[in-house]
Amino acid sequence: MLFSSIPFLYYFLPVVLLLYFAVPKNFKNGILLIASLFFYAWGEPRNVIFMIISILCGYGCGLLIEKFRQRKGLSRLFLTLSVLICLGMLAYFKYVDFFIDNFNAVTGLSVPLLRIALPIGISFYTFQILSYTVDVYRGNVPAQRNLVTLATYIALFPQLIAGPIVRYSTVAAQLESRTHSVDKVAEGFRRFVMGLAKKILIANALGELCDIFRASDDKSVLFYWLYVLAYSIHIYFDFSGYSDMAIGLGKIFGLDFLENFNYPFISRSITEFWRRWHMSLGSWFRDYLYIPLGGNRVSTAGWLRNIFIVWLLTGFWHGAAWTFIIWGLYFALFLVLEKFWLGKFLKKYQFLSHVYVLFLVGISFIIFNAADMPQAFSDMGGLFGAGGIPLVSAEALYYLRSYAVILLLGIIGSTPLPKQLALRLEESKTGSKVLTVLEPLVLVVLMIVMTAFLVDGSFNPFLYFRF
Amino acid sequence: MKAKKKSIATVAVMVLLIAGLSLFCWFKPQNAFSDSERRALAKFPGLDFSEVLSGDFMSDFETYTQDQFPLRDLFRRIKAYAVLGAFQQKDNGDLYIADGYASKLEFPLNRDMLSYAADRFEFIRKTYLEGTGSKIYLSIVPDKNYFLAGPNGYPSMDYEELVETMKEHMDYATYIDIFPLLSLEDYYYTDTHWRQEAILDVAEALAKGMNAELTDTDYTVNTLQSPFYGVYYGQSALPLAPDTLKYLTSKTLADCILTSYNTGEPVVKDIYDMGAATGRDPYEMFMAGSDALLVVENPSAKTDKELILFRDSFSSSLSPLLVSAYSKITIVDIRYIPSKDLGTYIDFHGQDVLFLYSTMLLNNSSAFK
Repeated sequence: MLFSSIPFLYYFLPVVLLLYFAVPKNFKNGILLIASLFFYAWGEPRNVIFMIISILCGYGCGLLIEKFRQRKGLSRLFLTLSVLICLGMLAYFKYVDFFIDNFNAVTGLSVPLLRIALPIGISFYTFQILSYTVDVYRGNVPAQRNLVTLATYIALFPQLIAGPIVRYSTVAAQLESRTHSVDKVAEGFRRFVMGLAKKILIANALGELCDIFRASDDKSVLFYWLYVLAYSIHIYFDFSGYSDMAIGLGKIFGLDFLENFNYPFISRSITEFWRRWHMSLGSWFRDYLYIPLGGNRVSTAGWLRNIFIVWLLTGFWHGAAWTFIIWGLYFALFLVLEKFWLGKFLKKYQFLSHVYVLFLVGISFIIFNAADMPQAFSDMGGLFGAGGIPLVSAEALYYLRSYAVILLLGIIGSTPLPKQLALRLEESKTGSKVLTVLEPLVLVVLMIVMTAFLVDGSFNPFLYFRF
Repeated sequence: MKAKKKSIATVAVMVLLIAGLSLFCWFKPQNAFSDSERRALAKFPGLDFSEVLSGDFMSDFETYTQDQFPLRDLFRRIKAYAVLGAFQQKDNGDLYIADGYASKLEFPLNRDMLSYAADRFEFIRKTYLEGTGSKIYLSIVPDKNYFLAGPNGYPSMDYEELVETMKEHMDYATYIDIFPLLSLEDYYYTDTHWRQEAILDVAEALAKGMNAELTDTDYTVNTLQSPFYGVYYGQSALPLAPDTLKYLTSKTLADCILTSYNTGEPVVKDIYDMGAATGRDPYEMFMAGSDALLVVENPSAKTDKELILFRDSFSSSLSPLLVSAYSKITIVDIRYIPSKDLGTYIDFHGQDVLFLYSTMLLNNSSAFK
């Protein structure tokens, strides 16, 4: 079920809210769990069983790891078992065809592809379970004895299918006992509506523009640049909008998730970009892969190896295709370059450093969104007029004019400017009074407008569902 | 304190809005049809285990919730205002308003569709017309975008290439150019089609091009009392002013007999269906709307010439104006009758044959059978 859909907003959510706030404290997790399983089954009725298996595996292994904490070998065995089952399922559903395809390409054989449908959100809940069992193994958190509580954490519908990747340690205490307040619920609604607006009003519109570009026979240099700009804003608003909605819904239910985005497009280096983009994934790879590999406390060669392993897998996590692997390695390359040489240069030149990040990130998204590398190279070439395409085409000009306001809103919304303005307004006496009236009004107007977009059945896919 | 008030206000309005619209959604009676969109609305899907397991129930349910959403037309209008007004987009779902006219973007030129249309016409020629002595004509009706898109900054298809391509494909047909006879004013504001009272010159040019003579052009202009909301009115969801629908009558037309073979059996119908004139699509009043096969017989004809007209909906309002030049016109819409079955219903014996199609249909000819 999509958050940005009528069934979620006007059927599922009101019922869940009503039940959640009507039942006593002890039953709240139970309601959230039932709601989450229903939410998942709505989109993936057949695959809910695999999520339940993963939950049971995480639960059982967690308990056994803790039980045999004094016997290191057994404890490690159950951790390995948990990792193997979780990653095995992920590998089977997400990567098996990729491996078969490449095996066929290398050997010349034609082993048939399995064409298995990817269970939605498997990459996210697998990583959550892994973080739980590893943290239990490390002794960072006690194993959860209550199956409902652990299942609620893993299956929690706000962040189930597109993140952020919530660590068990972040919400363990809140899962046991949490407070609800009008302030928190209001903040949750505010955040949810803003996320929904990012998704429906900006991301969807620009997603349509990207589709128009791809289908067009009237390509020009301008159209390629328009596509890069539109896709960059689209993917940011799509994903960060979803994270905002997840964080907002979490707050409504009394749970605090960590931030997942922090204005990545204002970064001055690729290193900084990845501290601001999909932060929960970056920190997951740091804590559960990069540091265990030795991080930077190894020889230069070992550190380079660690960097490339982490970024190869970061790319591969996003999708079972060479484009994603190359996308990850592309970032690894610039991270290394920045560490050795480029970083000092970028610190000196503020404007150039912004141009550098926006250009490299734009190119990365070309790779990310390409069906294959030849298409990615063709798109990159198009930016510079390769193939003798004209500089400007009538179609590109038309769509530039048609999407100018949305692009502008997207650009402004990618910076902290709107937030700073709102904060400044809130700090002043008059501004604060105005906001008291204006904010609820704006939220209602936004909800009505977004409902109108949903009723009219506009373009509405969620990008990160495929991961 | 202010922060508390703001929080209470935020929660209150959000709960009221979500709860209010939810209750409205759950308890609102289902509508079967949307008059503004001219389509049947999705009903609550049947609850079947296999449908649930396959996920079909869920996607059908989502369509149902969209179609049956309370105040659907109002919400669609809000979206149109947001897209065209607040976001200053040039079109809303390809629909745009310019110079007071509503139209739909139609581009780029789909060469495959042109080839497909030409293939179907060639099949008809080869199967039914070869060796009959029929004279074959081709004429193409420009859609509204031909006049509206370019001057208002909207992209449009390459009309010149479309015409040239069709002429090339149909080198067996004599092309009758009606582009210069038309202008934007000849089309309805809210509909795709041309206005019957504005295309007398087109009828005359076509007749002349086919060496036929219109013997009765003494028409009375009648005006439909009810407003005409064309197809783009509902699709745009905007409060556009309605059109006035006019239709032409004459003594010749009054004597004509229109027979529809839509069901295989002959059914006599009116040239102008006044029942349809007050229905969901008043343009359907012309020549029985979208019937697959029609025959108009003209008892007062001063000639025994006959015409077979392969057509789309533009011909519904045009064909009455050609009647006086022929003793019989057979009107065929190959979207609704397979070309291979035409021989069962039509005796091809050397009649004039006119392929009269709009640019829109030629560019989207997949429905041709």
